[in-house]
Order: sequence, then structure tokens, then C-alpha cells
Amino acid sequence: MAVFDTPQEAFGALRPVCVQLTRAQTMENVARLQAQLAAVSASALQELQEYVLFPLRFALKVPGPKQERLVQSVVQCMSSVLAATCVKKQELLQELFSELCTCLSPPSGSSKPASLSEELKLAVIQALHTLMHSAYGDVILSLYQPSTLPLLGFAVSLLLGLAEQEKAKQIKISALKCLQVLVLQCDCQEHRHLDEDEAQQCGDLFASFLPGISITLSRVITGDIKQGHKTTVCAIRLFYLIVGLVMADAQLARIPKNKEKLPVEQSRISELLVHRGPDWSKSTAEKLSLLLHKMVEFSSVHPHWKVRLELVELVHHLLRNCSRSLVDSFSHLLKALVGLVNDENSEVQSRCNEVLQGIAEQRIVAQNRALADVLSENLHSLATALPRLMNSQDDTGKVSTLSLLLGYLKLLGPKINIVLNSVSHLHRLSKALMQVLELDVTDVKIVEDRRWGCESTCGPSGSLQQGVQKGRCQKKYFRFFTEEKVFQLLQQVCRVLGYHGNLYLLVDHFMGLYGESGMYRKQAAMVLNELIAGAAGLGVDVLQEREVLLNMDDLKGSIMSILDEYTDQANWYLITSIDTEEISHEHSVQCSGLTAHPGGACSSILLPSPEPHVTTRTMNSNIWQICLQLEGIGCFAAVLGKEFRLLLLSALYPVLEKAGDKTLLISETALGTLVDICEACSYDSVQSLINENSDYLVNGISLNLRQLAHQPHASQVLDTMLRHSDASLLPLVEDVIQDVLSTLDQSYNNQASTFLRVLHSVMAALDEVLPLAKPEPNNSDTEGETLLPSHAQLAKDVMERCIHLLSDGNLRVRLKVLDVLELCVTVLHPHGNHLLPMAHRVWPALVTRLVSDDPLAVLRAFKVLCTLAQKCGDFLRQRFSKDVLPKLTRSLLSQAPASARAGPVYNHTLAFKLQLAVLQGLGSLCEKLDMGESDLNKVADACLIYLSAKQPMKLQEAAQSVFLHLMHVDPDSTWLLLNEVCCPHQYEPPHIGLRPVKLSGMGRPRNEFTDNVLFLLERLQQRESATPRAGTPEASPP
Amino acid sequence: MALPPPDPQFVLRGTSAAVHALRFSCGSQEPDVPILFSGSENGFIHVWNLKTHRVDTALDGHGRKSVYCLETMGGKDRLLSQGRDQRICLWDLAEGRTAVTDSVVTENVGFCRCSLLKLAEGRWLMAMAAKALEEVQVLELPSKTSVCTLKPEVGAKLGMPMCLKLWQLNCGSQPLLLAGYEDGSVVLWNLSMGKALSQLVCHQEPVMSLDFDSEKAKGISGSSEKVLSIWSLNEQQNLQVYKTHKLVNAGISDITIRPDKKILATAGWDHRIRIFGWKKLKPLAVLDYHTATVHCVSFSDHKNPSERLLAAGSKDHRISIWSIYTQT
Repeated sequence: MAVFDTPQEAFGALRPVCVQLTRAQTMENVARLQAQLAAVSASALQELQEYVLFPLRFALKVPGPKQERLVQSVVQCMSSVLAATCVKKQELLQELFSELCTCLSPPSGSSKPASLSEELKLAVIQALHTLMHSAYGDVILSLYQPSTLPLLGFAVSLLLGLAEQEKAKQIKISALKCLQVLVLQCDCQEHRHLDEDEAQQCGDLFASFLPGISITLSRVITGDIKQGHKTTVCAIRLFYLIVGLVMADAQLARIPKNKEKLPVEQSRISELLVHRGPDWSKSTAEKLSLLLHKMVEFSSVHPHWKVRLELVELVHHLLRNCSRSLVDSFSHLLKALVGLVNDENSEVQSRCNEVLQGIAEQRIVAQNRALADVLSENLHSLATALPRLMNSQDDTGKVSTLSLLLGYLKLLGPKINIVLNSVSHLHRLSKALMQVLELDVTDVKIVEDRRWGCESTCGPSGSLQQGVQKGRCQKKYFRFFTEEKVFQLLQQVCRVLGYHGNLYLLVDHFMGLYGESGMYRKQAAMVLNELIAGAAGLGVDVLQEREVLLNMDDLKGSIMSILDEYTDQANWYLITSIDTEEISHEHSVQCSGLTAHPGGACSSILLPSPEPHVTTRTMNSNIWQICLQLEGIGCFAAVLGKEFRLLLLSALYPVLEKAGDKTLLISETALGTLVDICEACSYDSVQSLINENSDYLVNGISLNLRQLAHQPHASQVLDTMLRHSDASLLPLVEDVIQDVLSTLDQSYNNQASTFLRVLHSVMAALDEVLPLAKPEPNNSDTEGETLLPSHAQLAKDVMERCIHLLSDGNLRVRLKVLDVLELCVTVLHPHGNHLLPMAHRVWPALVTRLVSDDPLAVLRAFKVLCTLAQKCGDFLRQRFSKDVLPKLTRSLLSQAPASARAGPVYNHTLAFKLQLAVLQGLGSLCEKLDMGESDLNKVADACLIYLSAKQPMKLQEAAQSVFLHLMHVDPDSTWLLLNEVCCPHQYEPPHIGLRPVKLSGMGRPRNEFTDNVLFLLERLQQRESATPRAGTPEASPP
Repeated sequence: MALPPPDPQFVLRGTSAAVHALRFSCGSQEPDVPILFSGSENGFIHVWNLKTHRVDTALDGHGRKSVYCLETMGGKDRLLSQGRDQRICLWDLAEGRTAVTDSVVTENVGFCRCSLLKLAEGRWLMAMAAKALEEVQVLELPSKTSVCTLKPEVGAKLGMPMCLKLWQLNCGSQPLLLAGYEDGSVVLWNLSMGKALSQLVCHQEPVMSLDFDSEKAKGISGSSEKVLSIWSLNEQQNLQVYKTHKLVNAGISDITIRPDKKILATAGWDHRIRIFGWKKLKPLAVLDYHTATVHCVSFSDHKNPSERLLAAGSKDHRISIWSIYTQT
């Protein structure tokens, strides 16, 4: 609210106070002037600027000691004038500048800074600040001439001294801000932009101050944390602004080789001027590098985030302006920058990422070979230290170390190949990865966890569904870390390598490591998998796009060569179990594997030692090896998408092999891989994947069956195929089953159990299809032996083999054969003309099983017989009662006294188990065969004694079951028989004329049979009352 | 330790009938896929994609009668097939077409495979057993104009022609025909004169198959006996027995010398494929895979030698593919 708008009015108002001040320099007079100033408009004041300044300047120049507070108020008053006006004359600017500086200068003769009050210092600093802002247009440049160099230098050293030595934060900060203005780097936007030449000239001038400024500032920056973060932030900013100006690549590039000669009168000054030639810039860069190192070390761990943020800005600014001149400093600077990516403060993090992104986008590294070299050197030393760090650091430390590694790689971007092309770099890096990625393979459970149900005959697709729902990638446990984040970082490291790096080179190198030693093989596989994912751009986080677009053919070529290596027999068939059966196969595979690569010195190292002594550790390691390779295949599929269909020819069979593996981890991983393949190749389900590629699988099976060592795998694949697929598979499978059968014919002795599993799966599959095939009317009786549907023919062929195998020496084989046999009988059911002759041929061997075999076999044989009885009852009834029954009943009878006498140990004897098996099987068989009365009596007689309470409990129960079955066949005679032994009731004749009912069991005292007989009679009664019958009421109990 | 018996590289299944004829077409560049044609007893010609190992197309042109001879006529788009329906069909397979463009009715009831010789671009010579039992007819394709009919002298008693091989010494020279007959003899015919130049009794039984190497002027024939007969042609154009080779099992249904003339393959009734060195007839390998008579063997025409393949078709409905180049 200016009262005096015109210069005339203002003059009138100001003149008295000015005159008064000139006469007497007192604080009151200054205050008066100050008060009047408030009432004068800015434009009016501008006209009267020098007039008003005069008494103030005069006050400062009066010789003799002055009152500090007076000086302070004068300076403050000057500030007010300057703030409202422009300085339009060069001389005035220089004079004011010099006069203000003098206020702070020490008394002449003393080198110590004047011990002035803090208020005065602050006032002067602020006045200088204001002065610099009030200079009009080009006038400011008059300060930056060689001739003013001493003056500038004086001001700079004054301000630096304040910034460093003052205690008060405000003074420090103001001094730093004032310096910032002084070197023309003010943050505010009011200043005129310097053109190139002007900037260059200023650069030349400031070069003289650089040593002083940089050293002092570095002391401030690394000074006591108590000075507050603002001071440090200001100092950092000033540091990078001045360094960025003086050391700017653009300026240094324009410096002439030799120093310009200045006119003679300026020769003294010219000595002060620095020539920023190559030598100077080199030595300065070296010195700055030391300072920067110190500063970076200090501020990258500064507790206040704004300091760390400013550090990011420092790196950013210097990288943008001085990436050539300060190249040697970037080792530290980039390290700091990359390290701050993981700063705890999100603002620092995001700014850091922005800066990194910017560096990448502007291709600063890509266009600066020297910088790339710096980065690759950093990488090299980090890679060298990595194993040690991974050993010693905790997981948090590992995370920061690895982020550093990742940051370097990302910054290098396409320049990664510089690193990769250096043998020593690649070697270090890969060795570090090999070490860090070492898996922990001590978990015993991995070997112990077996796939359940592989022996049992459970539903065909049960295990599949289970596998699919489980996680895709198996959780891995590493030796050197537990944190998941560490693994993710390592993954990213590999993927970034794959994305930017030369894929051929990388794949070749890591394939070399894969083959070099068993120690590295798992890690190398892990790296290879990630490299491929990265190369395809899957889940990779990079700062810049790659320069050369990915060539799909190259990628495919790399994948194919890795795939070949993974599925090579030496790497695919590893010992994963001490199951003797499996191990013998694996060994024979390895032997043939060796012959397949004659002269392969390397292959013999690769192979696990063929000694039968294999540690759990080795097996665990092998299991993981296979899992990683399976995961790799899944990843390759994901990378290639539908293109992978072409590779199914070679890849599907091995995966399916592992899907049938007995080790849970392997089979689950393989199922996961199958799901990955389904997704990548757009198959709806694993079932359709198998169905639509059954030709490939069948081909693999057929060819592998030709080699003894691979037969178990081939049958495993067939087994898995059958479990996971449906009837549509059968035509092709029938083709290959003929191969299986002819192979079986050639090797009964050693492979029988393997093949039986397949035959079992086949027959189980046929059995399931049967309901579908049934609709054709069963007129086989008229067809005779001519036309048999192919699946029935198959069943017949299989049954043929079963006959031979029924008397195999191995119990497990015999049991399996009996299972298969039962399925064959089921499938052949509708074709009686074929079944009967087969039954006839099976009979002798089956009888032997029933009469003299292990109890387990006896039981299963009974089951087969029951199934058989449904179709060829007549045929069997005769033979059974002739060939088998007498022997069975005889042995039951003869053994009964022994078991009645025996103690509890008897339950573990073979004799007991046999008795039990016969008793358990006999009842249902009698029922199924619809046996005649005399035979039933024989059975009943033989079993009756086992109802004795003296018999072992289990035998009693089994005998009960026989009678329960007999009740179904002939309730009346059973009733009678039981009552003969023990009759709980008196039966009064309904009429006196009838003779009384006399049963031999009546009135007998309680004996060993009573309990069981009573139980059975009760059951019989329940049965009778549940199904009321017509006829013979007098025979039934009331 | 002896090398384990070699395995087929792949087995093609799905013809659902005995395979009688095979012909590769693998000479073209990417992105064309290598192809194998197979002719089977049920009258179908299957076009196998050797990248996916699957049937791309099935051609039905012989009324479900056995197809027993296949020839390509420059590339995979033009195919010649001969069937037991007494027809020889010319196919246009370009751009996915599956059309019979022309056909020749042979009226011959035998199963003598025809023989094709390229004379010039777009001109072929074809020899086939004719309607009259002992005669061979030579036509020019695609015009179907008759070039000559080769009749044995009266009373020669050669029986039916069983196998034919048209050849010429080099491009532009006089084409000649080698024919194997029912009585076991091989006859060299001059086409322009329609006259037999030379006759050699090679076998006691009908000649089932023969192949001829014009560079070495040497040929080989097989019959239902246990003998392979190698014969040469001297400068007077006389056939002479050069050597015979005893076999373990009787019956050869097909013989093919590999285009590089280094080895040859035979298809045996004993289910086996045998590989011999052509120079000295040194037995190199016995390829044992099939479970029934092998009907035909064929070498591929891949440009890159390391990719070259051998295919064998059998009565067991399967086609086995072998990579034997590296092993020889």
C-alpha cells in the first residue's frame, strides 16, 4: 500500500530521512528510513534507488569501529531497497557486492574470520542473496569477468567459511544457498538463461574455486549428522551443481588446447585463471573421485531419506553432464544409485527407478563405452565377492547384494554382451551363480515320498487330478539362503541376462557347466531355464528394450539343444531310489548309455558311480535334477506356445515317463509339466494332450521296448497313458500291446513284473471300455471262433501269457498275474466260446494256486475262480468238486486239531494263513458255483469244526462267513445242520398226533460250538423273517 | 562289445493296411516340409509330413485296390501312382489339391511296377507291363503317346515281366530298359528298335526286383530265392553275371541303390531290411523291426546328406524310418 506513487512525492518523503542519516548514522535514523520505505511504491523507489542507497553505503564506509547492530540494520535496510528495485549499473552492482562482503571480512591483518554476531552474518548473507537477484539483465554478468575474479573468490571463501564453521543451521543453509546463487545455479526461475559461451566463461572462472568449494563441501556433507539434513542436502546440491558446471563434458570438449593469452594489463589475473585442459580435467577428476567416494559412502547410508534422495539427484545430474569427465567416479556413483533401488523409503526408491529408467532411455550407458566398462568392472568385482558375501551375509544383506548385481545388469542393458564376451567376467559371474544357487538336498523325505497308488489298482485318473491342482513349481530349498526374495532376484538376474545377452553364448556356456560337473548341473539347469524365459521376455523386468529383436528360430534352436541334453539318457535316467527292482534297470541304462557315447571321458564323470552304494544325498540330488529338467521343459513349452507342438515328438515321451515315476516329487513335477504343455499348446486337458499325441507316445514305447534297459520306462509310459486317457486310445494301444507281448515272450524271467503292470493297466482300461462296446448283441455262440472284437482278442492274448506266468517263482508276480487274469476273464465274458477253452487251459495252473501256494495267492485265486464261475459255472463246478474240493476239505479237517491247540503265535504261521484263506474264499465260491448238495455238505462238515471256540478268533469268523454263504444257497439244510450241533429251542408239535421234534442238538449242555452256532442261527432267523417264504413252514424255526 | 542293433528313428503307424510303395519328396527348401508318400493295400496313398510324422492327406484314387507303385514327377506336387485297379494315375497336389489329372489304363493283371524316366523338363518316359502277358509298353508322359511295345521273340518263354527299370547313360542319350521276367532272366531292351539287346538268366525263380547303376554299368536283382545277383553290362551291351550273393533267408521283394551309389537296401520276406555296400556287396547292417514281410524300401532325396533317410514299408501296416547315413 504505497502512499507515495510518484518519484516527486517519494523524494519529498525520503529526502529528510536520508539527509538525517547522512548526518548521523544511528540505528534510529536507519529505522526511520526503513519505515518510510514501506510507504514508497516500487517504481518510485527505483528512480530514487541510488539516492536512498547513498546514506546507507555511507554509513558502512565511515571509517572507524562501528556498532554491529547498526551495521546489521543498515544491511537489512539495503536489502529492503534492493528487494524492491533493480540494480541497472554494473559499477553499482560491483560496489555493493564488494561493500557487503567487506562487512564480514575480518579486521585487516587478522586471518581469522571476524567474530561477528550471527544476526549480522545472516543479514549480510541475505543482502548478498537479494543483491544477486536484483541485478538487472546482463548487468549480473559484469561480476563474472576475469577482472572480478578476486572479488568473487573473496565472496566464495567467505560463504564457504560460514557454511563450514558456523554453528547455526540457518546461517549454514543461507550461506550455501547464497553460494548457489553466486555460481549462477539458483533454484528459482527468475534468472536469465546463460548462452553457451557465457556458461563456458563462467565455467572457466569457477574452475578456480572448484578445489576450495569441493573440498569444503565434502567436509560439510560428511560432517556431523547433528547439523541437520537440510544443510547436507544443500551442500550436496551445491556440490553437484558446481561440479556439473565446471566438469561438464560439453564445456570441456570446447576448451582449446592452449591457454588464451589475455591482454597484458590482466596478466596477473590471468595467472589466477585456470585452463581446463585435459591434464587439468584429468587430475581434477581424480581428486573429485576421492571426494565423491567419501561422500557417497557417507550419504548413501544417511539416516535421513532426503539426503539419500539428494544423492540420487547427484548421480543423476553428474551422469547427465559429466559421464565422460568423471567416468572413474561412476563406479561408486552407480553402485550407490543401484543400491538405493531397494531403499526403505518409497520416494527414494521410485526416484531411483525413474533415474535408472531415464539413464536407460537416454542410452547413456549404451553410448558410452567407458561407462559400460566401469559398470562391467563393478560387476566383475561384485561377482568375485558374491560367493563370499552369500556365505557370510544374512538374507537382508543378500537381497541388497543381489539387487546391486541385478541393477548393474539392467543398467548395462544391451551392453551386457561386453561382460559376456570377456571370458573372465562370464566365468566369475557364472561361478557365482552356481555357488549361490546350490540346492539343499539333505531332506530325506524327498526320497521317501513315494507316489501312492502306483501299485494299487485305484481309479485310473485319480493321481492326475491330484497332481494338476498342486503348485506348478516345486518349492526349492537352497543351501545359502531361505528368503524367497533372494531367489526371485536370482531369477531376475538370469532372465535379464537372457533378455539382453547373446543367447547362443550363454546357452553354450551354461551347457558347458551343466556337463562339466555334477556339482553344477542342477544350478546350471536352473539358470538355463531362466535364461530361456528371459530371452522370450517372460516375466523379465528390464529398463530398456533390447536392441535386436528376438529371432524365434534362434530361440527354438537353443531350446532344442537344451532339450536334447536334458533328455539324454545320461541326464534323464538317474538313480532316484534304492528299490532294487528299479536300480537294476537304471544301471543297465547307464551301461548302454556309455556304449552309446564311446570314448566319452566326460560321460563317465557325469554318471553317478555305478556302485550299488548310493547315498540319500545323491538320490535327492538326482531327484531335483530331474525335476529341474522337467520344469525346464514346461518353461520351454510356455515360451514357444503352439510351436512347441512340433517338439512334442521328442519331449512328450520323456515327460510321461517321469509322470509315472515312483518318486512323488518327480511324478508331481512331471504332471505339472504336462499341464504347462497343455496350456502352451492349447490342449483342453492332459487327456487330450495324450490322446492327440498318442502316435508319438506309441512310437516311443514301441522303440524303447526293443531295448531291455528301457523296457520298464516304456511300460511306465504306457501305464501312464492308459491311466490318464480314455477309450479312444485303444486302437493304437492295441498295436503296441502286441509289441509288449512279443517282448514279454522273449524275457519272461526278468521283466515279468514290469510288464504285468502294463498288462494290468491295459486290461483295466479294456474293462472300463467294455460297457461301451457291449451294445452289439452277443451272438458269439453262432459265430464260433471266427470273429472276435479286437479288445477281446487282446484279452485272449494276454490271458495266454498269464497261463505261463501263473507258476512264476516270484510271489508278487503270481499275485499280479491273478489280478490280470481276473480282468481278462471279465473282458472275455461275453465271448463264452473263447473263454471256455481258455479257462480249460488255465485250470491246472489255477488249481495249483488254490491247493498249494502262499495264502495270499490262495485268496486271489479264489477271487479269480468266483469271477470265472459267473460265466462257466457248470464247467467249473465239476472240476472244482473233483480236483480241488477234496484236497481243501481234507487239509481243513486235518489242520483243525492243530489250530485248536495252538497258542497266539500260531497266527503268524503259514498254516494259519492258509486255513484262513481257504475259509475266507470257500463260502463265496460255493455260492457262485451253485454247488451240489453233497459238495455243500462236505464244505459244511469241514468248516463246522472251525466254529469251535477253541479255534483262533479269526478262523472262527472266517468259518462263520462260510456258513453265512451256505445259508444263501440252502437255508434249510444249514438250519438243520446247525441245530444238530446245538438247538436252543424246544419245538412242540402243533398236534398231539404228530411225533415230537427230535433234534440231536437238543438239550445238549453248552459246549465249544454253542456261541457261534447260536449266532449263526440268529442271523438265519433274521434272514428268514426278512424274506418270508412260501412252503415248508414246518421246517423253518418259529 | 558289439554295437546294439540299430533302431528305427521313427515308425509311422496308421495306414491300417499293408504298405506296398514308398516315395520321398524332401528336396525342396524350407518352409516346405519333407514328405513321404506311402501306398497301401487298402488303396489309399498317405501323404506323411516328416516334421510332424503325421498324415497330412490321404488320397483315394484306386478304388480301394492296392497301390503298389509311387513316383514323383519333379517335386511333391506331381505324383504318379499305380494300383491293382489296373490304372496308373497322375495327381496334381499343388496348393492343397488332391485331383487325379490323368490316368492310364494298363489292363495288366500282374503286379509289375512301372518305371519312370525324365527325358526333359515336363517330358517323361514310362514303361509298364502291358495287357498282353509278356509284353512291355513304353509311353511318353504326359501326352500318353505310345513309344513302343516290347515283345519277346516267339518261343522265348520269358513269362510275365516282373520288374522294370528305364535308364539312360546321360541326359540326351538313348533311353534303355532293363526288365526282369518270370523265368528269372533280365533283358536289356533297345527302345527305338524295340529289340532285346541282351538277355541274362540271373535266377531260377521270378525276378522280384532290380536296380541299375548306369555309372558303373552294374545292376542287382533279387528273386524269391536266397540269392542276390549282381550283373554288369559290357561295352557291347551284353549282360554278364558279375557276382552272386547268398542270403540266409529266401525272398527279396524290393531292392534300391541309394542315389549316391554307395549302399543299397533290400526288403526281405524274412521281415528284415538289409544294407549292403554297393561296391563289394559287403553286408553292413540287418535292420530288424518289422513283424511281417517288408514290401518296399526307399531312400530320401534330402539335399543335406546328414538328413537323408531310409524308409521301409511292411505287411505289418507300419513304415519304419531309419537314419543310416552316419552309420555307413
